[in-house]
Amino acid sequence: MLTEWFGRANLQKLAVYEGLGGYEALRKVVTGMTAAQVIDEVKASGLRGRGGADFPTATKWSFVPKDHPGPKYIVVNADESEPGSAKDRYLMENSPHALVEGAAIASFAIGGHQAWIYIRGEYDLPFEMLRDAIAEATAKGYLGEHPFGSDYPLDVRLYRGHGAYICGEETALLESLEGKRAQPRSRPPFPAIKGAWGQPTAVNNVETLSTVPWIIRHGGPEYAKRGTEKAKGTRIVTVSGDVQKPGNYEIEIGVTYRHIIEELAGGAFPGRKIKVFWPGGSSAKVLPGSMLDTSTDLDGLKALGTMGGSGGIIVMDDSHCVVKAAARLLRFYAHESCGKCTPCRVGSNWAVRTYERILANEGSGIELALLDRVQQGLQGGRCLCGLGDAAGWVIQSTMAHFRNEYEEHCLHQTCSVEKALVHV
Amino acid sequence: MSDVRSASPNLDAPARKMVNLTIDGHAMTVPDGTLVVEAAKLLGIEIPVFCYHHKLEPVGACRMCLVEIAPGPPVAQAACIRPVAEGMVVKTQTGMAVQARADVLEFELVNHPLDCPVCDKGGECPLQDFTFRHGYPTSRIDGPRLHFKKPIPLSENIALDRERCVLCYRCTRYYDEVAWEQELTVAQRGVHSVIASQFDRPLTSNFSGNIIDLCPVGALTSRVWRFESRPWDMQHTESICSKCAVGCNVTMWQRRGQLVRITSRENDDIDEGWICDRGRFDYTDVNDPARLRLPHIRGVKATWAEALTAVADGIKGKGSKLGISLPQDLTNEEGFLFRRLLEGPLRGAKVKMHGRTALPAPSGNQLMIKDIDDARVIVIVASDIENDSPIVNLRVKKAVSKRGAKLIVIHPDGVDLDRHHRTVHIRNKAGEAAAEVRKLADHETLLEALRELGGPVAILYGDGRGSEDAADLVAACAELAGKVGAKLMPLYRGTNERGALELGVAGWDSLEGVEALLSWGPPPTAGVPASVKFVAAWDHLPRPENQDAAVVLPATSFAERQGSYTNLEGRVQFLRPAVAAEAPLKESWEVLCELGVALGLNLAYAGIFPIQREVAREIPALAALAQPPSPDPEPARVLVGPAHP
Amino acid sequence: MSALSSHLLEEIKALPAKYPQPRSAVMPALDLAQEEVGHLTPEVMSEVASALQLDPGYVEGVATFYTLFHLQPTGKHTFYVCTNLSCTLRGAEQIVDRLQDAIGVSEAGQVSKDGLFSYEEVECLGACEYAPVCRLDHRYEVDLTRAKVDSLVNDRRLLRKHIKVARASDEPAEPPAKKKPVPKTRKKSV
Ligand SMILES: Cc1cc2nc3c(=O)[nH]c(=O)nc-3n(C[C@H](O)[C@H](O)[C@H](O)COP(=O)(O)O)c2cc1C
Ligand code: SF4
Ligand code: FES
Repeated sequence: MLTEWFGRANLQKLAVYEGLGGYEALRKVVTGMTAAQVIDEVKASGLRGRGGADFPTATKWSFVPKDHPGPKYIVVNADESEPGSAKDRYLMENSPHALVEGAAIASFAIGGHQAWIYIRGEYDLPFEMLRDAIAEATAKGYLGEHPFGSDYPLDVRLYRGHGAYICGEETALLESLEGKRAQPRSRPPFPAIKGAWGQPTAVNNVETLSTVPWIIRHGGPEYAKRGTEKAKGTRIVTVSGDVQKPGNYEIEIGVTYRHIIEELAGGAFPGRKIKVFWPGGSSAKVLPGSMLDTSTDLDGLKALGTMGGSGGIIVMDDSHCVVKAAARLLRFYAHESCGKCTPCRVGSNWAVRTYERILANEGSGIELALLDRVQQGLQGGRCLCGLGDAAGWVIQSTMAHFRNEYEEHCLHQTCSVEKALVHV
Repeated sequence: MSDVRSASPNLDAPARKMVNLTIDGHAMTVPDGTLVVEAAKLLGIEIPVFCYHHKLEPVGACRMCLVEIAPGPPVAQAACIRPVAEGMVVKTQTGMAVQARADVLEFELVNHPLDCPVCDKGGECPLQDFTFRHGYPTSRIDGPRLHFKKPIPLSENIALDRERCVLCYRCTRYYDEVAWEQELTVAQRGVHSVIASQFDRPLTSNFSGNIIDLCPVGALTSRVWRFESRPWDMQHTESICSKCAVGCNVTMWQRRGQLVRITSRENDDIDEGWICDRGRFDYTDVNDPARLRLPHIRGVKATWAEALTAVADGIKGKGSKLGISLPQDLTNEEGFLFRRLLEGPLRGAKVKMHGRTALPAPSGNQLMIKDIDDARVIVIVASDIENDSPIVNLRVKKAVSKRGAKLIVIHPDGVDLDRHHRTVHIRNKAGEAAAEVRKLADHETLLEALRELGGPVAILYGDGRGSEDAADLVAACAELAGKVGAKLMPLYRGTNERGALELGVAGWDSLEGVEALLSWGPPPTAGVPASVKFVAAWDHLPRPENQDAAVVLPATSFAERQGSYTNLEGRVQFLRPAVAAEAPLKESWEVLCELGVALGLNLAYAGIFPIQREVAREIPALAALAQPPSPDPEPARVLVGPAHP
Repeated sequence: MSALSSHLLEEIKALPAKYPQPRSAVMPALDLAQEEVGHLTPEVMSEVASALQLDPGYVEGVATFYTLFHLQPTGKHTFYVCTNLSCTLRGAEQIVDRLQDAIGVSEAGQVSKDGLFSYEEVECLGACEYAPVCRLDHRYEVDLTRAKVDSLVNDRRLLRKHIKVARASDEPAEPPAKKKPVPKTRKKSV
């Protein structure tokens, strides 16, 4: 649904997008619907946020106070930096107008007039395409003082990030948007009450908002026909790593990972076996290759202790070492830790140094125990935001499923994966 | 300065809803908006904190305060950012909470240098205390620690040790939130985050020293008092700062007769726990080895009796040919005795008080410092209050950035309050402040602010350091106050200028043409007049200006003084000697009495209390002197923490 | 002599008005400054600060937090090579090795002798399906191979030579025709 028009030439041009039915939804909203009706429509669709937390989008919008006297903002989270996830870039590069339209509709739904798209600094091309799309839509009178002749001003603006994964965390993003060091805020107050520049704000992911025009065009119930009982619709997954056809694929929520990895992404390379996969970005707890039949149902994943997250599926086959992969990810989390809260700042770095010792064959039972204790110290509300937890989950889940590899490294100073490769 | 946006409770708001909760099984009722840490404090339960500070906006960064809170997710939660809620159940002693805090403490120590034996904070260090009470009893930390270059001088007065820092951000938050400056910030990120002064340039703020008090570990220490003594090796005395008219409350620390440090002592009516750098670091003169201890006549040691007779002989019967220079920090008691001399043997003398403004005695409608908190509109006229009344400046900043007051400044030059993007600064021509004030009554900015925000209005005015016609300015401010229903605060500068005004001794005379000079305190700002033939100098340090003085009397410094000051809002506060005035030094009240006797006046008091009682009877503004508070304030409450996990 | 041109300072001074609160202008301002000077020196940051009426320390705090602000000189063309998991699984390490050889440096951040190149190892660039990838001259270079690295480097060397030759002969340098990258779309399933 989201990608139904992808592949058409020049979809990034307003004329093409509009010719296919684009901006119909925004027209409908500003000329004939109330904010409450928009929220109801989205509620009926069952749409849940695609940024990682699966939070119901309509509910988030309804938390924004209706009677607030000052400005209210929609902030679009286009900071996509989760390892393994590339779907927001894919959406923006293919159909920037869908995001602009979705952001404008969301602004209307919360009773705001301005949407800010916070886009990571490395996304030059999507930035340019969005900039052009906004200019086109404004010139055409779809945005601005009187969108579609209505008296409801709508304005979409862009703000560039400058290299920090933590800016994906919504409150850090808001700090960054305010020109500060991107360190997450403690809650309460929640962004819906005090968000960007101290005003009520809803932060939504690119994919979430790009889905909204479809829902308005076809109606919420139509969207809700896809998916599982509680997790409706489709989503885009990015498959990367050791598969033959890595790429972005729109899937109906509820299909299995086997379907995605083996059928859509072409499966493992000849002669290789899938050892492990991250089902929803590097921050989701890993599942072993034996669990490929797991469904993409969001709640099912939650029950397994992991998550659909940002939809980035990283696949690793038996030619790679789990300990090294985990060490690499920990280096990522330590590098991106904002430094605000103690457990994440110190713990992630402590873990990195421990992994370094292990991989330098200086490991022992002490290092094994240490990793276990650091992972505990990172989780369970210890950290201010989800980054610290995610770092802990990487350690915990890889240790839980692949303790043998950890023990080989720590206790026997060997790596069977490496050995096998040398053999070949 | 950041505009604060958190839901920090306004504890003074009237008639707040009350909320019932339990903490560790103790039921309690507290006002809505109270934070869980604060509620626990009321019960005497210790929830350890690093980043939380009751005068700063909570940030929930250090995670030291983790507890279990129901209803809520089954994870540890930071008590410092959670307001209480009806029916909330807080548990600080469950396995999860105890372990969470121990884990955080262990993380704090992973890279800590553990150089407690040579750390100035040792003995009064929350990191030591919390580790002792909440940490794991054994160390599981192995491997090398991270290292930083250290110590780094942040300024003449402050040293930074980045290895000891726990990154609670109290110092940088204070700088931004309270002082509206960003010369101290955090640089880098993640584990490489460090506190930094901009490109290693020295700090220049007049408010920098507060970060030493705020730092919960030994990362920020005083360079004035470094490696001098252990905290438990000092005696401390609660007193009042002598450097300006604000009257901040301070604690003075003494060791073996030396004043070794001055720290803030929170008084919410005045300073809220902040003091300026003058008050904190400007004390080394007290310990100067060159201090005067003995009276001298023409450079030769003399007894007090000889010296006082010589002074009396030199100044007696001189009428208006006698000039007297007064220190700005004379106490009310000294002022009262001095008045007796002025009314008697020294009648007619010209008097000039140091450091005072041209402002007259207050005329009522007094704005108290605390009232500034609730002002919706604040008007500051003819004063650069960052320098004139530093801690009042911080109070104004709080009202503006934390409580949304509108600020209007009338001053010819840029001032630090311009840092707020909503400050309205009317730049008057020097000498025309009164005219601007009169225009303000019809000024669109003020009227709009009043319409939007309502009252109360606070008007604070100085004397433009001599550039303004003080009487006219006072009248203009009073007119404006009448029109908009404002209260007024004259911004006196001299430490006890207001007390001296009320006593009628705060002279503003020119000393030109006098023949004899009694130079009490530092020499006259305008210099010793050429016409002077006899100088009696009464000071605590030898000064080149006093080289040719006929008589030199040794004076006590502020640290050896007892008595009282009246601050700029009219509050009478008592100072206590942190260091004993040991013979041959004499306390000033005693010297004044003896000088009176030498001048033929019957000035006999058995001690300072009879003087205070008499002042209280005679001067209504100083009635508070009748009852000096007990010198032993109630000891601070000790919070009970658990044993090791 | 100020480090920033006066028209740039004017541009920076006009930025705060574009945002609901003035501090939001800090990053866009640093961006402009970096574009003009190449990297952010204390002088540059101080000038940005005073143009925005902030203390330099504030700007230093922001600039040192974000990795896209450079505090040290970089090459004219900086390769931002992703070495996160998805790219590493598909050979990012070999790409980095080849790049080092091709531009003649031994570590990240080092600038090649001719001043043309430097590289950084960065975290996930959000193009994992094209792993290994890098960002170069404001565009992504995808499905990197060693040969592709060589040609990216050589193309730029040649281009520089042309420009130099053109300058030397005082002919107007022909700006390189910018290849407009067409967004790739991969097959989808639903
Ligand atoms: C460490 C961290 C990184 C995150 N990164 C992203 C991101 O890159 N993009 C995103 O949309 N959401 C990200 N999120 C989730 C956001 O905080 C937020 O939940 C989301 O933007 C809300 O949008 P949604 O409701 O549409 O999902 C991240 C969260 C955390 C804790
Ligand atoms: S968990 Fe990490 S990233 Fe999140 S606030 Fe703490 S230090 Fe910052
Ligand atoms: S005191 Fe609560 S997080 Fe620091």
